[in-house]
Amino acid sequence: MDSLSRDYVIFAMSAKGFNSENSRYALTEFLKIVDKYHWVNMGDMKTGGYYLVGKEAIMEGVQDTSIVHGVFTSKEDLRGAVRELKAADLGVSITISGILDNVNEVLLDNNIKRHTVEVSLGVRGRTDRLPEEELLEVTTMCGHGMVSQTFVRQMLIDIKKGKRTPEEAANYLATPCVCGVFNPRRAQELLEELVDVWCMDEN
Amino acid sequence: MRIDASKCIGCGQCRPFCIMQVIDFTRSEKGKVHCVVNEDECVDCEICYRAKVCPVDALKQPETQWPRSIRGTFSNPLAIHKETKVPGRGTEEMKTNDITNRYERGFAGMSAELGRPGIGARLRDAEKVFMALAPLGVEFEPQNPLTNLLEDPKTGKMKEEVLNEKVLSCIVETIIPLDRILEVLDAMEKVAKTIDSVFSIDLVCRADEDLSVPSLKVMEAGHRWYTRNGKTNIGLGHLNVKGADR
Ligand code: SF4
Ligand code: SF4
Repeated sequence: MDSLSRDYVIFAMSAKGFNSENSRYALTEFLKIVDKYHWVNMGDMKTGGYYLVGKEAIMEGVQDTSIVHGVFTSKEDLRGAVRELKAADLGVSITISGILDNVNEVLLDNNIKRHTVEVSLGVRGRTDRLPEEELLEVTTMCGHGMVSQTFVRQMLIDIKKGKRTPEEAANYLATPCVCGVFNPRRAQELLEELVDVWCMDEN
Repeated sequence: MRIDASKCIGCGQCRPFCIMQVIDFTRSEKGKVHCVVNEDECVDCEICYRAKVCPVDALKQPETQWPRSIRGTFSNPLAIHKETKVPGRGTEEMKTNDITNRYERGFAGMSAELGRPGIGARLRDAEKVFMALAPLGVEFEPQNPLTNLLEDPKTGKMKEEVLNEKVLSCIVETIIPLDRILEVLDAMEKVAKTIDSVFSIDLVCRADEDLSVPSLKVMEAGHRWYTRNGKTNIGLGHLNVKGADR
């Protein structure tokens, strides 16, 4: 199983001008439901991610314009959270990012019909300016691009030098991701692979 | 972003956080080492500041005026776009389609996110994409802050004063009939050869009653590649949000 199959981001928001007024209560309840399962990151674009601001600040800071996120590494946790979210009937829009077929399977288990689907058709243009594919796999976990490639390289050096464990390095890499969608466990897996095969030099 | 040279001790701790790699070491006239931000290449994302690693509080985001202010609103997800009230890149896209029906059946949303992943882009590259797509008669999403920077939506010309501004990423967002997906994709691929950055292309579509996704059928019929992962709006949204009547 590749690491992608252990990465599911579930998030909720209300639609401005339609159902956003006072939606903060439902958005907070969304996070409380996510919190009952084995999440590995959570966050709110208005406040920050778990690894920077902590759970309490996220929960207390939810606003009507928030976009709240939780990250799971297993389909089972996703399935459970979706079941509860459906029962809670929050009314806010919920989107799941992950392998489409796996997500659809979880939805079907819960008698939910998928509404709208988005895929990527890839990257075009000056792809020669992009960092190595392996680094991109880590940095792009934050969709806003808040995790810099230099930061990943620095973490690899720190692991090699014994200054940090891969787990600590991965958790630290999650800090710039304000939405809390960066999956530190998947990052840890990728760092552990890279640290064995990459030659790093600070100069 | 700016570094106060009188405070900075040149420890370099902020440097790895910079997504644009524009914080460098330099020396004052007296020979003291400190760091400096190349402000022309900086996108005002404030990541270096939020990292809270500076031991002497030397990083400061100066108040910015138009058009420089564009950088922060597009590049800092904690900033809100005045026009759409949406944080980040400023568009809800498919995330609320169960409520807004922005992408109706028979249509697809197709977007080019410039600068992504992790390169950043000048808005003159966004203009090139707009100008390549405008002659096809596509509709640019009005609820997207980048569309608001157009001088003329018919030609795709952007406001002159914004062209040199650099952002972490921004989205040229269109809504098109399903049968035009490949034509728009071809136009995007053609203009990609002329820009100095990258863009990632996204395709959004409402699922059919049988749960198939019409846009993906178009891609498959045209033997074009798309990712097996993506976003799924699960359709649980409605207008009576729980607790909203408190
Ligand atoms: S604001 Fe962003 S681009 Fe500018 S120096 Fe800081 S991290 Fe780099
Ligand atoms: S962290 Fe602060 S003191 Fe260190 S180089 Fe950056 S601005 Fe200077």
